[in-house]
Amino acid sequence: MAFKDFLKAQQNNIREYGMYIAFVVIVVFFAITTKGLFVSSRNIGNLVNAMSYIAVLAVGMTLVIVIRHIDLSVGYLAGFLGAIAAISMKYWHLPLGATIPLVLALGVCAGLLTAFLVAQMRIPAFVATLAGWLGFRGALQLATRSTGTIVIENPTFNALGNGFIPDIHGITFLPGIHKVTLLLGLMAIILFIIGEINNRKKTQAYHFEVLSLNMFMLKMVFISAIIAVITWVLAGYQGLSWAAVILIFIVLIYDYVTTKTVVGRHIYAVGGNPEAAQLNGISVKRITFFVFGSMGLLTALSGMLYASWLRSATTIAGAGMEFDAIAAAFVGGVAVAGGVGKVTGSILGALVMASLTNGMNLLGWDISIQYIVRALVLTGAVIFDVQTRRGAK
Amino acid sequence: MEPEAEATPVVEMRNIKKNFAAVQALKGVDLTLHHGEVLGLVGDNAAGKSTLMKVLSGAYIPEEGEIFIEGKKLHLTDPLHARRLGIEMVYQDLAIANNLDVTSNVFLGRESVSTRLGSFSVLNSRQMEQEAQRLLDRLKIDIPSVRLLVERLSGGQRQAVAIARTMAFNSKVIIMDEPTAALSVAAISKVLDLVRELKAQGASIIIISHRLEDIYSVSDRLIVMRNGRKVRDCSVAGDIDDFRERVVAYMIGARDDFAREADTVAV
Repeated sequence: MAFKDFLKAQQNNIREYGMYIAFVVIVVFFAITTKGLFVSSRNIGNLVNAMSYIAVLAVGMTLVIVIRHIDLSVGYLAGFLGAIAAISMKYWHLPLGATIPLVLALGVCAGLLTAFLVAQMRIPAFVATLAGWLGFRGALQLATRSTGTIVIENPTFNALGNGFIPDIHGITFLPGIHKVTLLLGLMAIILFIIGEINNRKKTQAYHFEVLSLNMFMLKMVFISAIIAVITWVLAGYQGLSWAAVILIFIVLIYDYVTTKTVVGRHIYAVGGNPEAAQLNGISVKRITFFVFGSMGLLTALSGMLYASWLRSATTIAGAGMEFDAIAAAFVGGVAVAGGVGKVTGSILGALVMASLTNGMNLLGWDISIQYIVRALVLTGAVIFDVQTRRGAK
Repeated sequence: MEPEAEATPVVEMRNIKKNFAAVQALKGVDLTLHHGEVLGLVGDNAAGKSTLMKVLSGAYIPEEGEIFIEGKKLHLTDPLHARRLGIEMVYQDLAIANNLDVTSNVFLGRESVSTRLGSFSVLNSRQMEQEAQRLLDRLKIDIPSVRLLVERLSGGQRQAVAIARTMAFNSKVIIMDEPTAALSVAAISKVLDLVRELKAQGASIIIISHRLEDIYSVSDRLIVMRNGRKVRDCSVAGDIDDFRERVVAYMIGARDDFAREADTVAV
C-alpha cells in the first residue's frame, strides 16, 4: 500500500485521535489550574455521575443523527418519564421492579410514535420532535402540577444516580481504596488485552494487515495505563458509581451493535445513502423505527438517572438536555449530514463538555463565560471535523 | 448471422408495453440476450431504453408483454425480487453508500453473518473482507484496500465497486445504465476493460450508453431504440466510423428495420 493510501486510510483515526488529544489537553489544563482538585477522586466521581444522563442521551442521539434526523423532544421526554417513575413509586405504589420496565416501555412507545410521524407520515424529524418538545413539556407540567417537585424516597432507585457499587469488607490491605473497583479495572485490562490479541491473531489468519508489533504493544500499554489510572482514581473515593456501570454497559452494547451487527451496518448505510440502502433491500422505514425506538428507550433511562441523581422529579426536569446531547454528539465527531459518527465518539464528546462545565465551575468562572467557552469548543470541534474530512478527499 | 437457434437465451422479453399516463413509453419491444453476450442498448433521450431496463430489473411493471429468464416465464414484482432471480442492475447514480468501506458496499443488504440473530446477527467481517478482496483480484480491479471508504475512491473506482458488487452473487444478467457517463477517459477504458473481464468470466450483460464508441468496443450485439420501439437489432461489426454513422441514422429515425409494423401504429 502506498504511503498516500495509508494516510488516506488513517484519516478517520486522525480525527478520532484529535478528540482524545483535545480531551487530554482539557484535563491537564484543569488539573493544573485547579491545583489537582479537578482530577481528585471525589471530583471525577461526581463528574461521571453528572454527565451520565447526558451521555446516555448522546448515545441514542448519535444514531438519530447518523440516519439524518434529529430529536429535540428527548429533554422533556426524559423529564416527563422521570416524573412518571417518581409517581409510579410514590403514588401508584408500584415496586421498583415494575416501575423501571414500565418507564422503559413508555420510552420506547414515545420513540416509536416519533418514528411513526417521521417514517410513516413523512414529517421532518425537526418538526415532529419540536412538537414532541412542546407536548412532553406540557405532559411534564401536568404530571407534576398537583404535587410540584416529587421527592423520591426509594433508596435503591436513588442509588442509580448517586450510589456506588459495594465493596468487600474486612480486607485490611490498601485501606481507603475500593477493592472491587480495582478488581474490575484489572479485569477490564485483562479482557481488553485478550480481546486485542485474539483480534490480531484472527486478522492475521485472514492475511490482512495489522499494526506493527511495536505499535500494537504501545497501543495496548497506553490503553491499559489509561484504564489503570482511571480505576485507581475512582477507587480512591468510593469506587465505581452505579451510573458509571450503567453507562459503560450501554456503551459496550451500542458499540457492539453499531459496529458488529447487521442492523448496525444498515443504520450507517441508511445514513450514507438512503436510496442506495432501499435499492439494496434495506428497509429505511424499519431502521428509522429501530433508531427512534432505541432513542426512546435511552431517554427513559436518562430520565430515571436524572431523577435518581436529584432524588426527585421536578417541574422543569430535562430542560435543555436535548441540546447538551446534540452538542456532545457533534463534539464527538458525528456529521450533521449523516452517515458518520461513533457511539464512543459521542461519549467522549459528552465527557469533554461535562469536563468543561465541571472545571470552569471549580475555577469559579462566571456562568455567562462558561456558555461562551462551550460555544467555542463546539464550533472548534466541528470546524476541525469538517476540515479533516475535507482534507481526506 | 446470429446464434439465434442456439440454447435458450438468458433473457427474452416479448412485446413489452408500458404507459405513463397518456405517454406510450414502450410500444411493444422484443429483446433477447444470450449467454455470455454483451448487448448494447442505444437510443436518443426518451427512446425508452431506461424504461425497458427498469421493466427487466423489476422497478416498473409493464402493461403487456412477457419476460422469460432462462426460458422460465416470470412476473417481476420489485427490484429485490428481480435481484433474487439473478438480475442485477448497476444504477446510473451508483446506489452505493460513500460513508461505508468497499467491503460493506459489495455486501450491502446481503451481509454474511457468523451468528444468526435476526437483525442483530453478527457480521462475519473478515470473511466478507476476504471475499471482497478475492472479487477485486478476480476482476483485476485496482483498489488498494477493501477497507477504504468509498468516498475516498475515484469515480472510476466507485463504478468498479458498483459493478463488482453484481458479480459477488450468482447473477445471471447484469444491466449497466450509462456506466461510463461522467468518467475521465482513463477511467472509461478501465470500466470497459472490466466489462470485458466480466464477459470473459461468463456474465451476460446489457449496457446502456450514449457513447457509441464504448458500445462498439465492448458489445457483441446492438439494439437501437426510438420512440419506444426497437428500430435495429444486429451484431456489432465493421469499422467504427461506418458503425457510428449507421447507428445514428437509426437513432434519428432516418432508417428503421421494423418500420412495417410501426406504420400501422404511427399516423
